[in-house]
Amino acid sequence: MSDTAAPLTQDRRKLEMAALSAPAVFFTVAMIAFPVVYTIWLGFQTFSSTGKQSFAGLANYSKLISDYEFWHGLWITIALFVLSLVLQLVFGVWLALVLFNAKRLPGIVRSLFISPFMMPPVVAGMMWLVILDPSLGAANYILQSFGLPPSDWLASPTWVIPTVALIDSWQWTPYVALIVLGGLQSLPPSVYEAAQIDGASPFKTFQRITLPLLLPTIVTAAILRSVDLLRFFDIIYITTQGGPGNASNTLNIYGFRVGFEFFNIGYASALMLTLTAIVFGAVLAFNRLRGAVAW
Amino acid sequence: MNGAANTDRWIRWLNTVQLVIAGVLIMAPTVWMVLSSFKPSFEVTAYPPTLVFSPTLENYAELTRTTPFLSYALNSLIVTVGSTALGLLFGIPAAFAVSWTRITWPAILTLAARMAPGTLFLLPWYVMFRQIGMIGSYTALILSHAVITLPIVIWVLLPSFDAIPRSVFEAAQVDGCSVTRILWRIAMPLVASGIAVSAILAFVFSWNYFLFALVLSNGDTKTLIAAAFNFIGEGSTQWGALMAAATLIALPPLVLAALVQRWLVSGLTLGAVKG
Repeated sequence: MSDTAAPLTQDRRKLEMAALSAPAVFFTVAMIAFPVVYTIWLGFQTFSSTGKQSFAGLANYSKLISDYEFWHGLWITIALFVLSLVLQLVFGVWLALVLFNAKRLPGIVRSLFISPFMMPPVVAGMMWLVILDPSLGAANYILQSFGLPPSDWLASPTWVIPTVALIDSWQWTPYVALIVLGGLQSLPPSVYEAAQIDGASPFKTFQRITLPLLLPTIVTAAILRSVDLLRFFDIIYITTQGGPGNASNTLNIYGFRVGFEFFNIGYASALMLTLTAIVFGAVLAFNRLRGAVAW
Repeated sequence: MNGAANTDRWIRWLNTVQLVIAGVLIMAPTVWMVLSSFKPSFEVTAYPPTLVFSPTLENYAELTRTTPFLSYALNSLIVTVGSTALGLLFGIPAAFAVSWTRITWPAILTLAARMAPGTLFLLPWYVMFRQIGMIGSYTALILSHAVITLPIVIWVLLPSFDAIPRSVFEAAQVDGCSVTRILWRIAMPLVASGIAVSAILAFVFSWNYFLFALVLSNGDTKTLIAAAFNFIGEGSTQWGALMAAATLIALPPLVLAALVQRWLVSGLTLGAVKG
């Protein structure tokens, strides 16, 4: 009796399960998979000034190789990525250790610590635009009252990328810290106690025990930040739109402008597919690294 | 022995100092934004900057007088609530099915979509939505923002569903419950707090999202974030109003995040870290 009934309900359950995921899958295919295929196709097209579309083969990609702005954008993207990631990981681990040693954190303190990355990056851009204003901003006033020279910050071609990295790090260092704090709290206390009994100094304990055990968590934080950093957009677009000149023209900003300011959809598609490949390549590389440092 | 206790106290004191420094660095810019929004217009650009002033609401009044701030806010609310609802509608059953069957590719598909740069989809969306005359419609904005909310809902809920003991479902199945009924009557009430956290996170990230509305909205449907340019354009004479706009735009996500801060960490790392 049950021998015949069981496979039937099994099949029925599978069908019901598929029906539950179907809306999400269908939505993702319609909004993501199909448009991405369309973008790949667009990457092989050119659009004339009259809007006439024709097959261009690999023309957009060969243009990319000889396009100075592309290589410049790639360099800017990588510089911003490395600078921001190093800042956020170093200060994130430091902040996590400080929070960990503080033991009890009231909810209100935690709320204040997460407030930078819960607010829109656009708002962060707006507030720092005012703080970093070259002539009237509070930042230069503070620098000068310590006898330091003022900076043009976002208005300086030399300093715009470090400044943007600084703004992003202000926003996301607490996020990295909270991830690392989670990792710290999940470490078995016995390893510290053993080290203490052996008479290891706090610094040695950190270097030899805590840091290696934390590495997988730190790499996880690095993956989560890399995805955002490689496609950096909001703060730059709201503060400099890629300027001054092209000093902060990251690949994502450049691709956006090629697409929606110059309406060169075909070339913009080729640019964005290249950037997407870079993002996924970085995620895969970090994932391998995480496998290597896992314990 | 006494020396060790002294070192201990000294280390704790040093840690407190570091905590205060970190707190000041993190809070100062936001405090400055809020203070500036209450400064009289002649004082907001004063140099050297002032810390003591008589607060005024003139910047907020100016903002609502010179810009359609409230209708932008309404647009933001419509798009955010709509996309959060859509994310929950599609995401809750999908997360449940993925958790139960261990067939994870639907969840990974939505996450991969979240990792690609938004401009990648925005180009084809722009071409397609223009062809069917949907540029500037709430529908286009809600659909595009649901791409943000759906993976958040699925990945925040997955650990919650995973935490329910299998025996609960199996018992219900033996009683002849359909899968949909089990989800609705048994699983969803058990993960109610997870659903609340995922809804709030989805709301925050949809509210904060900039890129899609920049291209897909028009003058009537522009969201607050996409309208940020309108507030910046005026130059340094309008700093007070600019900071009032920034403060008001940041307020909803900050209030909501404060409500769920305790559960936020594991949710934000998409389950990578148990907070």
